[in-house]
Amino acid sequence: MKEQHPRTALGDAPARNTRNTGPGRLLIAVYAVFAISASARAGYQILTKFSEAPLAYLLSAFAALVYVVATVSLAKAGSTWFKVSLAAVLVELVGVLVVGALSVFDSVAFPHETVWSLFGRGYGFVPLLLPILGLVWLYRRRPSQGKTAL
Amino acid sequence: MDAYFYIILVVGLVSTGICLAAGILKKAPNDITILSVAAVEVALVVYLVGSIIRVIAGEPIAGEAWEFWGYLATAMLLPPAAVYWSILERTRWSNFVLAAVGVTALVMAARMNQIWY
Repeated sequence: MKEQHPRTALGDAPARNTRNTGPGRLLIAVYAVFAISASARAGYQILTKFSEAPLAYLLSAFAALVYVVATVSLAKAGSTWFKVSLAAVLVELVGVLVVGALSVFDSVAFPHETVWSLFGRGYGFVPLLLPILGLVWLYRRRPSQGKTAL
Repeated sequence: MDAYFYIILVVGLVSTGICLAAGILKKAPNDITILSVAAVEVALVVYLVGSIIRVIAGEPIAGEAWEFWGYLATAMLLPPAAVYWSILERTRWSNFVLAAVGVTALVMAARMNQIWY
């Protein structure tokens, strides 16, 4: 992960228009793992058995895309990337809640596994936890708090 | 679950434990935490070499072969990436990133075992 912007020497730096220092690094790392694993899984599902459950596997691909966007946007500085992050995390939260609920109440329509099925139970409920932590982190580093850098 | 899994189980959990403790104690990544993550990488290399030998010896992989190697390759990328990142930002938070490597490798090793058998 390449970063070209200046970094502060220590954590808990004064709020700047970045979200990739301190706890944000951990968040980005976990998002990156999910982006990679969800992409690989969706790619595998679509390439080998797409016709079995097109909806579920397209949903997998969509979830993977959301994780990729969240990872990249969290790593970038500036207000625009903040908005992209916020959108990605909100979509993720809605996705995990809706898909999770549907997979519980209507398991016939959603018989095939996605990252978000059963609120991400297959992944230790991390998919449910991530967007919440993401929103907390975005709130703490919202652009209006510091100077509008860049 | 085979010996390779248990090696990664032990090494991964120890590494995660060390890195978590260092993070909680507000320490920056140091030789101990980085070397513990390096040990995870070594365990994965052992798994890699062992798996190559088993395939050459004619042992079949029950699941998809490329899925197995994909998991292994991805798992092997994690420790260097985490260490590289922890060197870029030397704060306690990087220790939590390092801590994530051990458990992730553990989960992936479990999945690799499922694919193999």
